[in-house]
Amino acid sequence: MAATENPSRERILSRIQNALQVPAHKYSAPQGAQPIFAPIPDLLDRFQKECVINITECVVTPDRAASTAAIAQILAGLPEGEIYIQESAQLREMAASWNRPSVRWSSEGGSREVSQATITHCEALIAMTGSVLVSSACGGRGASVVAPIHIVVAGLDQLVPDLAVALAQVDERGVPKENSFLCLTTGSSRTADIEKILVMGAHGPRRLVVVIHQQ
Amino acid sequence: MSTAAHEFLRNAATKSADLGHRKILQFAIDQHEAAVQRGKSRFLDWPAARQKAHEIKWEAVNHLDRYLLQFEEKVKERGGHVFWAANAEEARQYITDLAKARGVHMVVKSKSMVTEEIHLTQALEANGVEVLETDLGEFIVQLRNEPPYHIVTPAMHLTRKDIAALFREKLGTNTEDPQQLVAAARVVLREAFFKAEMGVSGANFVVADSGMIALTTNEGNGRLCTSFPKVHVAVTGIEKVIPRMQDLATLWPVLSTAGTGQAVTVYNTLVGPRLPHEVDGPEEFHVVLLDNGRSELLADPEQRDALHCIRCGACLNVCPVYRTIGGHAYGTTYQGPIGSVLTPHFRGLKDFQHLSSASSLCGACSDACPVKIDLHHHLLHNRRNAVKEGERPWAERLAFKAWRWGMAGATRFGWLGAVARFGLRAAQSVGLSGTALDPAGPWSKNHADLTVPKKSFRALWKEEHGGH
Repeated sequence: MAATENPSRERILSRIQNALQVPAHKYSAPQGAQPIFAPIPDLLDRFQKECVINITECVVTPDRAASTAAIAQILAGLPEGEIYIQESAQLREMAASWNRPSVRWSSEGGSREVSQATITHCEALIAMTGSVLVSSACGGRGASVVAPIHIVVAGLDQLVPDLAVALAQVDERGVPKENSFLCLTTGSSRTADIEKILVMGAHGPRRLVVVIHQQ
Repeated sequence: MSTAAHEFLRNAATKSADLGHRKILQFAIDQHEAAVQRGKSRFLDWPAARQKAHEIKWEAVNHLDRYLLQFEEKVKERGGHVFWAANAEEARQYITDLAKARGVHMVVKSKSMVTEEIHLTQALEANGVEVLETDLGEFIVQLRNEPPYHIVTPAMHLTRKDIAALFREKLGTNTEDPQQLVAAARVVLREAFFKAEMGVSGANFVVADSGMIALTTNEGNGRLCTSFPKVHVAVTGIEKVIPRMQDLATLWPVLSTAGTGQAVTVYNTLVGPRLPHEVDGPEEFHVVLLDNGRSELLADPEQRDALHCIRCGACLNVCPVYRTIGGHAYGTTYQGPIGSVLTPHFRGLKDFQHLSSASSLCGACSDACPVKIDLHHHLLHNRRNAVKEGERPWAERLAFKAWRWGMAGATRFGWLGAVARFGLRAAQSVGLSGTALDPAGPWSKNHADLTVPKKSFRALWKEEHGGH
């Protein structure tokens, strides 16, 4: 595609540059970096507490085999139909015992409207807010928003204290360079637009389940 | 007085007398306030968080050219398009042309105040494109053919009964249950997400170092708008740029705490041009960077910090004027204190200076602002500028000249006081209180008659203490 024509670009830039010739009246000097959040003594404990507040289901298991079983149980309670899974050796291995006849892997394309559930990994878990950070590597943009339930499979080693650490880590790993999509998810879709009454599942998933294996 | 000022005064009078409306507004804001207090208590040091957010925005706004150019370079590098729009007309033209060129029949929109500012929906509709708002609150006000009532909570002025009646009429539902109302909207919008060829979003932040835009939503509609249609257009003001992705570690929690009281909003997304190896996402990514008066505000070193605004709506919620008259009375895209500061810059001091007086100068807005904009002082600055630029009516200018003259001499002052007392008593005795002939007319119109003292303060002082 041809480069965008931009007749006003130079004009706007020169207006900005001229405007900035005069310094702002109120210069607020940086006041040093005092912490704005209290330190978190026990990451997993905090993550679980935050999940309760966010209405996120958090399942902590001793190991991967236990996570596989926990997810099998959740899937057994869901209606029949396609489930969408992020392509990964680990999830392939786990899926073998889930007994779902219809699986679409992210290697086959993006998630579809018919998905009953999505199962993905994540880039990080954030203790302070009980959040999950996903990227387009986790099954694409649609994976974590289209299906009525999003199940996240994570290891305890992915749990970090706060957003600053999570963002620094993904940056270091080059995630923003390799992905055009990142999403910090804190709970499942909701709205309070009608009389401030909380309603779950406005557009995205009604349930967010995080399954953390400790080893 | 401008037409806009007349309308504002009329609306404000009607709305402040509408007790039902005030009750709805009060309820919503009380709920909100409690949530925000809880949200702030999650911070070890909320003032330090505000200071940090302020510093980030200060750095960005005061080096706006540098960060915008960095952002543009990153977006282009990744295969996206950046269009610089000097005004609303250019932005509308670019987007409608793009829609035409891509054969777009339907656009899904996630909540964006900038698209309200440029009246994008009307422009697309005039070109035969169907436009659907997908944020539930926006969807509701769109069905009512109304502008958003609040920059964060667009349907704050409606009860569930109002919404139920609206959905009964427009969507054929028969329920007052919020859960079912949301489900009904979900069905309509769900279809649209997969049918629309273009998704339009705003941007809460424009991240220079990563070439992505940040979108904050609770419902997930913003995510669907930017995932499935084949073209994604993000429309945003030039002031939304921030230097680093890392800054979001401060700005995301600060925005949601001030906006809704949540620790962080449910979905905080970063999106850019889809990369070749990715499984889904739009084929095209366009960012429209809108100036539309912002560079002029940037050139005002005194009020430049008004460009720090992250549109959280906190100043609206705490403002005694907003809490009494509500969002629609303002007749502007941006309401409340921040709207009263910005609108005269965007749309002219001549026609919108009256908003500078829509304030009790209590300063609650400045205290609430999470990026520390000096809002109430800027309202004063705009008042002063209106006087300086000769935008006040001649009668007022004359009255102040007379006042100044009267105040400058003790004898004059005494005489004028006597005349005023006489005038007041005369007006009251013949039943002309509150009319144009009453010296305290504007006051007496809405209040009981003033008790006019027989003697002046100075006369009483002289009697009791003697001398001067």
